[in-house]
Amino acid sequence: MTLSIDADQPLLFYTVATALVLVGVSVFLAVVRVPGVWVPIRTWLVMLPIVLGALWIDELFFRQPVWTILVAAVSIMAFKEFARVTGLYRERLFVVVVYGAIIAEAIAAFLQRYDFFMAIPTWAVLILAFVPIVERRTEGMLQAYALSIVGVIFFGYFLAHLSYLAQSPEGLGYLLFVVLMTQLNDALGFIYGKTLGRHRWTPISPNKTLEGSILALVTTVILTFLQAPIAFPWVPPLGVLAAGLIVGIGGQVGDLTMANVKRNVGVKDFGHVLPGHGGLTDRVNSLMITAPAFAHFMGYLFGGFPT
Amino acid sequence: MSATGTPASAPGAAPVSGPGAAPTPGPAAPPAPGAAASPAPAPGAAFRYEPFPDIDMPLPARLGQFPRQPDIATDVARAVGGPLAAAFIRSQFRFEVVGTVPDVPRLALMPNHQSHLDALAVLSMLPARFRRRVTVLAARDYFFERPAPALLASVLWGAVAFDRRSRLSELRRWTRVLRDTPDGWFLVFPQGSRKTTALHAGLPLVLARSGWPVVPVALAGTAEAWPVGARVWRPFRRIRVTFGEPVEDAGTRDLLDVLAAFWAQHGRIDDTPEGRT
Repeated sequence: MTLSIDADQPLLFYTVATALVLVGVSVFLAVVRVPGVWVPIRTWLVMLPIVLGALWIDELFFRQPVWTILVAAVSIMAFKEFARVTGLYRERLFVVVVYGAIIAEAIAAFLQRYDFFMAIPTWAVLILAFVPIVERRTEGMLQAYALSIVGVIFFGYFLAHLSYLAQSPEGLGYLLFVVLMTQLNDALGFIYGKTLGRHRWTPISPNKTLEGSILALVTTVILTFLQAPIAFPWVPPLGVLAAGLIVGIGGQVGDLTMANVKRNVGVKDFGHVLPGHGGLTDRVNSLMITAPAFAHFMGYLFGGFPT
Repeated sequence: MSATGTPASAPGAAPVSGPGAAPTPGPAAPPAPGAAASPAPAPGAAFRYEPFPDIDMPLPARLGQFPRQPDIATDVARAVGGPLAAAFIRSQFRFEVVGTVPDVPRLALMPNHQSHLDALAVLSMLPARFRRRVTVLAARDYFFERPAPALLASVLWGAVAFDRRSRLSELRRWTRVLRDTPDGWFLVFPQGSRKTTALHAGLPLVLARSGWPVVPVALAGTAEAWPVGARVWRPFRRIRVTFGEPVEDAGTRDLLDVLAAFWAQHGRIDDTPEGRT
């Protein structure tokens, strides 16, 4: 266990930066009084300390599983929302296999067993194939199988990259960057859209505007260049540009993927646990795309994602 | 993520059908125009999404709904919490049971109500396989408006919410619910509150008329073991639970007289002077 904290340590940097942003936004809102944004901000004031607190515990008390447990718990609760919204939750055996895959991925990530980490989704899909056979049913089984695979891949495999990244010293900078910037990119898209948005660009999510999405992407890329020297100083400028684009574009894609689920099913939000945001899935949907894309891209080209 | 094979089923247009409609009865897919040439789609070929009807409910309301929606977490909690609560209650008091309960698919247990202990006292005196069938109807205004009491009541004694304030609409709702409920045991307190002795005819009659035989249950000693207003229970008191004979076809006001007479006869602890039998 090391208690020495360097000035260029990403966790310290991001904690201070997050606190400054939150204080700044709170002061701004106390003065300007924009209606309707206080509720989501208040939820942020609870969520961010939990996220950063878990990482601090792992950092200060060498390699604890707190962050991994947090990610697994959020994944399970988010998948439960997904399963309840799509009706898959009525098929208990499918759901239990997906839960098992999420937990197995968390363990593999914590142990940094890349081979298990990559093999578990395969095994989960194989085991899911047994469910209709065991239950001796055909009706609705293709749908349940398909939805369960979405569950294994998006909620088990993709989100577990957040646990995997946290296990290496270089990965911590990647992790903080991808988590916080993905969320900031979401928030920026929302704020730009509300204030400057005119042109809707997708029927999947009518709240998205061209202005909001593009301005958020530009801001994200600029901010990526500003923080790259601390988050991942070894990455050359082109790589930094790519990192910004992955977060800026991938976040929107993740958002739209789950928005598509909601539209198909006919619900507005996945749940109500996060006041002002909706369900957990509504909050982590962007991370489902950005986390794996970012981790594999950066890891392959620039290291820091030990395989 | 939508269907193939049935051209008529537009993705995204899948209507959200009724609350908790069973997933299985394949809707005998409406014949799609243009599908005549191709073989008829098998039932269940199209993806149909049925979101859970309680997605928009806050947690206390979700815990209190009947019929319940499947939930792995609360099912596990109930499977563990119910027996633990029953064992704990049995360890805290000296129990005495008189009479038995028949093994039938439908039953309505109707005890007198004097104490917080009442529901658990009855449940802990039933065999485990019977206890699992019982749904306790508990006051929505007391138990199911905040998460903590809702969790306790739902996990420890399998309670669901009954809205004792909006009587008529709630009774109509339960009449409908019971019509669609094949089997089950209910534990109902016709007095409605620990603090009154007056009988409320509504729910007992709804149950009786829906075909649930009524078993009168008399609790004696719970009022002394945990009086109304006391913060904690007083351990090691004597509690006697008396199960009466099932009353069938009790579709009239006779039921209330039967219950009142049964409780008057067995609902006091000091009418068996020698203490144990």
